[in-house]
Amino acid sequence: MEFLWRVVTDALEALRAFGPAIRDVLGLTLEVSGIATVIGVVIGVPLGVALGAGRFRGRGALTVAVNTGMGMPPVLAGLVLLLFLWNEGPLGAWGLLFTPAAMIAAQALLAIPIAAGVTAGAVRGLAPDAVEQVRALGMGAFGRGVVLGREAWPGVVAAAAAAFGRVVSEVGAVLVVGGNIAGETRVLTTAIVQESRQANFGTALALGVILMVIAVVVNGVLTWLQFREAR
Amino acid sequence: MTAIDVRDLRHDGRGLRLEIGAFSVPEGGRVVLFGPNGAGKTTLLRLLAGTLGGGFAVPAAYLPQRPYLFRGRASRNLHLGLDPAGRLRADALAARLGVGGLGDRPARALSGGERQRIALARVLARPEDIVLLDEPLTALDAADRAVVGRVVAEALADRTAVIVTHDRDDAVMLADTMAVMVAGRIRQMGPVRDVLGLPVDDAVAAVLGVSNAHAGRTIGTDGALVEVDLGGATVWGVGDATGDAVALFGAETVTVYSGRQGTAGSARNRWVGTVGVVRELGRLVEIVVDAAFPVVVVLTPGSVDALGIHVGTVVTVAVKATAVRVVSR
Repeated sequence: MEFLWRVVTDALEALRAFGPAIRDVLGLTLEVSGIATVIGVVIGVPLGVALGAGRFRGRGALTVAVNTGMGMPPVLAGLVLLLFLWNEGPLGAWGLLFTPAAMIAAQALLAIPIAAGVTAGAVRGLAPDAVEQVRALGMGAFGRGVVLGREAWPGVVAAAAAAFGRVVSEVGAVLVVGGNIAGETRVLTTAIVQESRQANFGTALALGVILMVIAVVVNGVLTWLQFREAR
Repeated sequence: MTAIDVRDLRHDGRGLRLEIGAFSVPEGGRVVLFGPNGAGKTTLLRLLAGTLGGGFAVPAAYLPQRPYLFRGRASRNLHLGLDPAGRLRADALAARLGVGGLGDRPARALSGGERQRIALARVLARPEDIVLLDEPLTALDAADRAVVGRVVAEALADRTAVIVTHDRDDAVMLADTMAVMVAGRIRQMGPVRDVLGLPVDDAVAAVLGVSNAHAGRTIGTDGALVEVDLGGATVWGVGDATGDAVALFGAETVTVYSGRQGTAGSARNRWVGTVGVVRELGRLVEIVVDAAFPVVVVLTPGSVDALGIHVGTVVTVAVKATAVRVVSR
């Protein structure tokens, strides 16, 4: 009991001090996972609407790919990207390995299928009458997609929430392509791994609490958006 | 010019095989697809609208059977898919349909009839020359039907239209041509009055449920009743039509008396004529009496024998005014 109490007091002390190390880690986490989520939503939501309501060749294969991607282990996504970004890899010349850009790319790869899969499910769940009606409005494919995406608004918000939740909590991909370099590519999850390994349990717990606070705040905002009737 | 020309249409739907040898509508023609549930009317319309694939699509404004209003305000829905000129037309139509003041209301808060009228304004404001309407007046209550029907009929003037309905009054009000569909096929197609008055076979007659449809002009009213001049004879019926109108009554509602009976019974409509046609319709007998206009009557074989009816017999036919519906056209 005394051990746990000490860890908790250490964690509280770390949170109270909120030193530059923690601030850097928090800032980079929000930057990397935030941008990755935006990329995931920008690409994944339109893809999901197309998969949910479109009629085109390859829709089945693409749906399987997306559903598989939703369950892809982050560390595998990281490994694949690592191979591309490695010095001798096809994109090695870009020099992106062990930079935040590489971490954003890795997390975006994870976010896209989640955003697409959740959106596709929401669009498929719309009334068939809505899909019939949107085809009757004389709009192009883009316009139809906008109308249906907006109609499936709560599902689209859920897609964004799921994508952010997936990337902010994953450790494998950012560890492999980012390298967990202190002050450069260290984010909350990799920092927790690092501090735990060094038995700095108080700091690790403090970082964990920050991660949870981020999750609560972000999901709170998204839930508010979900309940709000789209105008 | 032919606006719609479909040939050799085959479509296998769930539980329905649609087979249309030829379906064509001239420019400016207004065709009503009439038939029982499951006859394939909506499927044919969706094939024409292109929402079902199949390669038979025509460029058309299309009102689905259950029009859908999307999230947001009624005005957003009213204007969806329209250019600025179309939006102005939609606003004007909405006002005439009695839903002009609902723009700021959330679409989801509207009643069924209000939604239907918003959807109608939206589709009638579209720029296409061909209009496809699936049961445009079904969601409306009786009081609104006549008003809305008139606005729709006006908006369809000079346009080509295909309209699905299972209501004879709507057919008369909105269309000039009627195509009766039974089990995935068009069994009869022709001018609305001809089809209503002379079904080609008993399947069509059963679908139509009416055999007498006569066009004329209203000349007077008496309480709830309207008198229609058919040219040489008049008929009293129920309805609020004025001007050009069609009187509709079923062959089974007509009573036949032998000889010239001026006063028997309470029926207000009474005409004398000679029997022109006698034909067996399954267990019943259909006769056509040539009065000032042809009156189709269905009788049992027993009645035919008792009255001594054969071609050339002089009879009096009578029908109660309450059995006659007068619909404006």
